[in-house]
Amino acid sequence: MNFLRTAFFLAASALIAHSGVMLAQGVDDQMLLHPPADSWPGYHGDYSGRRHSSLIQITPQNVKNLALAWAFQTQQFASIKSSPLLVDGILYFTVPDNIWAVDARSGHQIWHYLYPPNKGDHIGHRGVAMYKSYLFFLSPDGHLVSLNCKDGTVRWIVEVADVNKGYWTTMAPLVVKGHVLVGVSGDLDNLTGYIRSVDPETGAMQWQWDSTPPAGTPGQTTGGMTWMTGTYDPDLNLVYWGTGNPTPVLKGGTRPGDDLYTCTIVALNPDTGKLVWFFQVSPHDTHDWDAVETPVLVDGPFHGTPKKMLMQTSRNGYFFVLDRTNGKNLLTAPFGPVNWSLGVDKQGHPIPNPDKEPAPDGRLIAPDEGGLTNFRAPSFDTKNGLFIVDAHPSWSIYFAKPADGEYGWAGADYGVWGKGVLEAIDYQTGTLRWSHELGPEGSGAGVLTTDSGLTFTGDALGNFLALDSSNGKTLWHAGSGSHINSSPITYQLDGRQYLVTSSGGVLFAWALP
Amino acid sequence: MNFLRSDLHWNVWLAAPLLLSLAAAQTPPPSGQAETAVKQSAPVVVKSYPPELVRSGRDLFRQDCSFCHGRDAGGGESGPDLTRSKLVTEDVDGDKIGEVVRNGRPDKGMPRFDRSDQQIASLVAFIHTQQNRALTRGIGGRKGVDAADLQTGNAAAGKQYFEGAGGCATCHSPTGDLSGIASRYQGLQLEEQMLYPEHAKSRVTVTPASGQAITGTLAYLDEFTVGLIDSTGSYRSWRTVDVHYKVDAPVNAHVELFSKYTDADIHNLMAYLQTLR
Repeated sequence: MNFLRTAFFLAASALIAHSGVMLAQGVDDQMLLHPPADSWPGYHGDYSGRRHSSLIQITPQNVKNLALAWAFQTQQFASIKSSPLLVDGILYFTVPDNIWAVDARSGHQIWHYLYPPNKGDHIGHRGVAMYKSYLFFLSPDGHLVSLNCKDGTVRWIVEVADVNKGYWTTMAPLVVKGHVLVGVSGDLDNLTGYIRSVDPETGAMQWQWDSTPPAGTPGQTTGGMTWMTGTYDPDLNLVYWGTGNPTPVLKGGTRPGDDLYTCTIVALNPDTGKLVWFFQVSPHDTHDWDAVETPVLVDGPFHGTPKKMLMQTSRNGYFFVLDRTNGKNLLTAPFGPVNWSLGVDKQGHPIPNPDKEPAPDGRLIAPDEGGLTNFRAPSFDTKNGLFIVDAHPSWSIYFAKPADGEYGWAGADYGVWGKGVLEAIDYQTGTLRWSHELGPEGSGAGVLTTDSGLTFTGDALGNFLALDSSNGKTLWHAGSGSHINSSPITYQLDGRQYLVTSSGGVLFAWALP
Repeated sequence: MNFLRSDLHWNVWLAAPLLLSLAAAQTPPPSGQAETAVKQSAPVVVKSYPPELVRSGRDLFRQDCSFCHGRDAGGGESGPDLTRSKLVTEDVDGDKIGEVVRNGRPDKGMPRFDRSDQQIASLVAFIHTQQNRALTRGIGGRKGVDAADLQTGNAAAGKQYFEGAGGCATCHSPTGDLSGIASRYQGLQLEEQMLYPEHAKSRVTVTPASGQAITGTLAYLDEFTVGLIDSTGSYRSWRTVDVHYKVDAPVNAHVELFSKYTDADIHNLMAYLQTLR
């Protein structure tokens, strides 16, 4: 008995000690800087925003055998627009007001968190962030909720934006060196956009950077919302973030000039929130073209010189390559039909054509208000040197008249026609290496590339697609039964590579048999 | 006062004069025979709703609807102004709005919402209240497009463009398919139809490896499957790898024009089409 009890005790101790190593470690700075293959610890996977995986188990040769490992039904009408996190074998993903923790091996639910009913805008949700064993979740009514990842219990809730002023929050926070960086939404009212740094332990504010002056400042713009997750360069210690459109949205009369810092890519010091440089991609926007699309960080040659670059396919229809050490422009090129500018100035900014501002009798504009792309993630395929984006060539008519006022939307616009095209852009020239038609209206699917030479995305009809990254040819597909509004992720668990996609309210995990 | 009826649970009154003035404002000059969103003949009943119902509808609208339709239901990102929506005008106690909320409008990108009858009743109350409020304010302050806004073109120049540079006459005829077009569509709806008739049907001819070619109305097409409605009205589909298929989509000529139009071309064409009553 004694022997058995001792043996059991020793075995149990060993198991606990072993578990201590393997389980419930959560996320630390090292993991965020160098995510292991069995993790996806941040919205973009790693800090670069490239969504390019080094995993090579699934290849162009065997991808035709890719099969469903499991599916998870949220039983909700809300469409999944989030990227799941994967930490310690558990996936965490969201729709507005809801978080699920799901076993990445089986797809069964571990816990579900429901935020109380609230009057925030429930337009969408991009996911959670994680630091240590804490999850960070933004509610529709502008609160940051911190939860224990083990059981979904709430640690604290702090207000980061005032829903009564018209703010709401949807984005997945970015964790950098012990700062939880959150952004805000709210362009139905004339409000100031900002990025706020919150202490992961206490929820206390560390700093705030405002993208526009306080509402009511004469002659100045409001807006510049910060509703998408930024990226981070640890060597330069800079966080990169895109800001949204100015307000009033479709009327520029009360906000003459460039309207800084709206529709701008900014580089901030994450320790202080101080602005280090900026580059405005849409001076004086009057078409709702937020520049919040992922600022993708790439190191490589540009016209023969090694560069630290930042690339963005922006909603306004232009592809930008910047030197991310100083914000200087390397390339500006349209990646689809664009008719609203008079060209590009010497510093690489598009020059808005005043004749293409919304008018009482209407102006035909390309792209449409949804833009040539939007929040769905692009991917930079480091192997082929291609920037791959789900583009939306489109046309629309924009109206504004004095009776529409100078508050919030202040006009009207109507999409006329659009389609979806996956485009592989040569980043050194802005020209397309290949393109792949995705169907009428457009697709909401983001892009993931892998070192094995695969591009994962989805089409406008709800098919998940795997393409050959070198030429855009289809190698695998699966009909999902609903519109796709999210970006795929991948990880390797127990030696098996998984692809996780979603459409409608269902999360799908795929693997080789 | 004789038309104010207080015997109902909430107040109902007639607002015909008000609606008439709005209808006049929306009618394109000079000959106002066009149908407007609100019928002018019958007196129109405007209903008011209990304030608490409107308040809960407002909160729900803000959560689920405001991103696209604006917080005041006056239109916003991608969604139309509901205060001037024909469907809202024709809705009685949610018989039309409820259906749209429950089923969505997948063809227009509107999702469906899982809401209780009580919640839908509150949304209906809010939307109608906003429409009533917009009507009492007249046309000032509202977002949207009036037919009167779209009268800056020159009909003669539009006719010239139609017959010449635009190439419209290649497919269309003012005495044929477009005869009376301005009676069928007005204002913004006519302009949208003119730029891209989204419900135009395409034809497809599918030739299986063995067997005869089948031509029908294109019903579905992605990379992997082609579907059509055949001459008997039946849906048939094939794997694209098994067949040859050819789509005939004359509507694509409209897409070709987008990059060629000037805004003046569009306004002139609008002026010309409005002469085709």
